[in-house]
Amino acid sequence: MTLVTTRPAPEWSPMSTSAPGALDVPAAFAAHGSALLGFAVNALRDRALAEDCVQETFLRAWRSRDSFDAGRGSERTWLFTIQRRVVLDALRTRQRTPHLVEHDDALDDAPADVADPLERLHLVEGLARLSDEHREAVVAVHVRGLSYQEHAEATGVPVATLRTRVFYGLRALRSHLDEGEPRA
Amino acid sequence: MPDHADDRRAELIAAALADDLSPAERAELDLLRAADPTVDDELALLGGLPADLGGVADWDDVAPSDDLRRRVEAVAGPGAAPRATTPASSAQESPVTRSAPVTPLRRPRRLVAVLAAAACLVVGAGAGALLAAPREATVAGPPGTLGAVEHIEFAGVPDGVSVDADLVAHTWGTETVLTVDGLPEGDAFSVVVVDDRGREHESGAFLGSTVEIDCRLNAAVTREHVAAVEIRGADGDVAVAEVPAVGA
Repeated sequence: MTLVTTRPAPEWSPMSTSAPGALDVPAAFAAHGSALLGFAVNALRDRALAEDCVQETFLRAWRSRDSFDAGRGSERTWLFTIQRRVVLDALRTRQRTPHLVEHDDALDDAPADVADPLERLHLVEGLARLSDEHREAVVAVHVRGLSYQEHAEATGVPVATLRTRVFYGLRALRSHLDEGEPRA
Repeated sequence: MPDHADDRRAELIAAALADDLSPAERAELDLLRAADPTVDDELALLGGLPADLGGVADWDDVAPSDDLRRRVEAVAGPGAAPRATTPASSAQESPVTRSAPVTPLRRPRRLVAVLAAAACLVVGAGAGALLAAPREATVAGPPGTLGAVEHIEFAGVPDGVSVDADLVAHTWGTETVLTVDGLPEGDAFSVVVVDDRGREHESGAFLGSTVEIDCRLNAAVTREHVAAVEIRGADGDVAVAEVPAVGA
């Protein structure tokens, strides 16, 4: 039977030969729910919509659990791939929905120097996929602009440790970004 | 496992990227760069990231709520365990009632009088037509419940044609799941979702086939605003499923 899809189902094929259906939703949510929610919240800046996206991600994962092939990627990567599409859909729906703003806020609301939304989405996803320790250090230094000394004083973690965490965090982030731009 | 030298290399590179080197560390890094050319490679590889990260503006650390955990766990149905190789029957997985009150018709024109039987191709086609999969009712709830499968009935379907249809509410819009049999092979049909203000939202298209068609089509209108779903033939004939208001 020939089926035509309008969306890619790239990494995991229904033709997978591995044992299908090995998705334990409660365990997967316990392991990855926080990172997935972090991705959605920071991509969308809307907690309620982000939670809807996480639910939608697990719904799609459950529906397509037979296509998951652990031999071709981790469960975490699979879930993030699904959620990237869910978040993109949510962003596009929101962009298409007109909203009213106060006249005085109109200029503030205009995107002055906004980076490519897809690039930002990929960056946010990369941050969400870091370990908690690496992300915390990278965000403190390179997103919030704290010095290593300031962050060390706030957390009690030695400067040398923070620097090492940032180095390996940036490396992991670079690897994520080099895997390819998010597909529309 | 990184040894001490690797750690020191990592420290110096991370400090350089944040412009956080002391004069002594800068001299140490210069010596390291002279001895190890890969340090410059690493600086070049990672050097653009600090500026990119500045565009993120801020980061919210969040923890999932118990409510979200319950909603997600409900996706798999009560007591669902990871499947090994034998799928559960749809009945076992189906806590959703398929009794959403759906009323016919908005003065439907007949969908296609021509039911010329013929052999041949199976072609699911058209923008928005997704890989078909069996319906799986995984979330229960009234119309508008995210992820719940809501059965709808089409009126205006000619004799010899069967249309089994469901809606699924999503955050990003409304999915129409169709199983259609008996439409003339090769004839094009479009699916349009009509919202509560009468506006039409294209959902996708498919071709008639001599065998049963399964397809999923998406419209960028949320379920709470959906008033009807229409299947339209090329000649303008239409079958309509009017759907209940969310919360009605």
